[in-house]
Amino acid sequence: MAVKLQIKSRSGRDILPDGLLLPSNATVEELRARFAELKPKYPPSRQRFTLPPREGARSGEALANGKRLSDYGLADGSVLYFKDLGPQIGYATVFFWEYLGPLLVYPLFYLAPRLLYPGLKAPEKSVVQNLALAYWSFHYVKRLLETAFVHKFSHATMPVFNLLKNCAYYWMFAAYVAYFVNHPLYTPPPTRRAVIALAAAMLCQFANFRCHVILANLRPAGTKGYVVPRGFLFNFITCPNYTAEILGWVCFTVATQTAAAGLFTLVGAAQMAQWAIGKHARLRKTFDGQEGREKYPRRWIMLPPFF
Amino acid sequence: MGVGKLYLLAYNLAQLAGWAVALYRLGDHVIATRSLEGAYTVAGDVVGWFQLASALEILHAALGLVGGSPLTALMQWAGRSNVLFGVVAAVPEVQNRTAVGAMFLAWALSEVIRYPWYAATLAGACPHWLTWLRYTAFIGLYPVGVLGEMKSVFDALPFIRARGLRSLALPNAANWGFDYHTFLVVLLCLYPFLWFRLYSFLFRQRRKRLGAPAGAAGSKKQA
Repeated sequence: MAVKLQIKSRSGRDILPDGLLLPSNATVEELRARFAELKPKYPPSRQRFTLPPREGARSGEALANGKRLSDYGLADGSVLYFKDLGPQIGYATVFFWEYLGPLLVYPLFYLAPRLLYPGLKAPEKSVVQNLALAYWSFHYVKRLLETAFVHKFSHATMPVFNLLKNCAYYWMFAAYVAYFVNHPLYTPPPTRRAVIALAAAMLCQFANFRCHVILANLRPAGTKGYVVPRGFLFNFITCPNYTAEILGWVCFTVATQTAAAGLFTLVGAAQMAQWAIGKHARLRKTFDGQEGREKYPRRWIMLPPFF
Repeated sequence: MGVGKLYLLAYNLAQLAGWAVALYRLGDHVIATRSLEGAYTVAGDVVGWFQLASALEILHAALGLVGGSPLTALMQWAGRSNVLFGVVAAVPEVQNRTAVGAMFLAWALSEVIRYPWYAATLAGACPHWLTWLRYTAFIGLYPVGVLGEMKSVFDALPFIRARGLRSLALPNAANWGFDYHTFLVVLLCLYPFLWFRLYSFLFRQRRKRLGAPAGAAGSKKQA
């Protein structure tokens, strides 16, 4: 049975004067494909459709890939609101460029002191600085490899502007940290302390990697729903990958005794905390224990014993 | 009216009082000397205290007492405070220049309109002319204020560099250095962009608000 949907902009303007004709059991992907045929300017990743908002709400529920029109009770004459999400870019692409920057920028400060610290005599690098370079480079190579071979992205794309924003963050912070750790007037902490701290940081990296592998294997191939993560640190913490990442950077800060690294750790932790709170809330909302669904177990959000 | 609202009302009225005093002193001085020089001497202390107190607005946003992002409130407070306490307070040679006088005057004129508007909106009795004033005066006052800020900082740069003011040199235990001069130069480059965003935001607010019936939208949102 076919339904004709009215597609409007959020200001009420009719985007498709003749409406959109689809079978009532069509998937959201099919809706997007058909819309893209009629409006080639908006490929599926740029399209956002929402149902009319409920009483008092600002906007209605968004249509999710993997569902059918009938799941949303869409019938002949139903209205859908369209929003253009703007030019999109793939997650993996963004991750590649934002991680490549630090891998190139940090060694630049190590290798070219005459260029980046003009007028200062550059003494031989300390063991701590050498280890810091090795650790930093390893960290970002790991991230690039994970992007290529481990991570499974649930959203295919993000707005193009995010590429600029994310790269600016990573590249500028990399320069900021690298500037101080590789400065001619850098004073290293005792080598023994740095070695122990970086060894601990490496343990955190392995833990973080293991978390990423668990997350990548969470959903059976082709499925889309949320799954309660289990195993390893996931039994106690919702986002242990962030826990390990933050602790790794804390160790790096201790190893290099550099305030800039501490600032980098804090800012990263704040952002990850925001994401973790959202993730934790989504999981608790999905696994509410009602109607046969399992109940999300009591877990730390990201940083025991704080939250 | 709840406790929160009463507190905000008191806060807004207190700020109004402070900025009114500042404006009176400034106006008096400008009329007497026919110039904008010497503003810091006559009004610097009042402006300083009430600018410091306005940090509370960050708290208000963070607690949800008022609408708006605490981060935006922080950035706005930090911007003005950096100019006032970071730069001008540290460099006596620029304190009584015209740029500072223009800046103070622009700030004072904006605040004696903005705070009564907040108070009246809270009380649910905001006359249309006050809303009009709040969303129109900024058009002239903002550019003057920002240019005054930028010129004041620019004038102070050579002194900051020569004296190494508010700067930390390497080597030190935290392996951290801070060059205030460089920081200010970067900030001056960013100023036009940051300021333009705020300016256009206020224009959008203006379009939304003007035309609304008097006293109607007693909303929490403070722009």
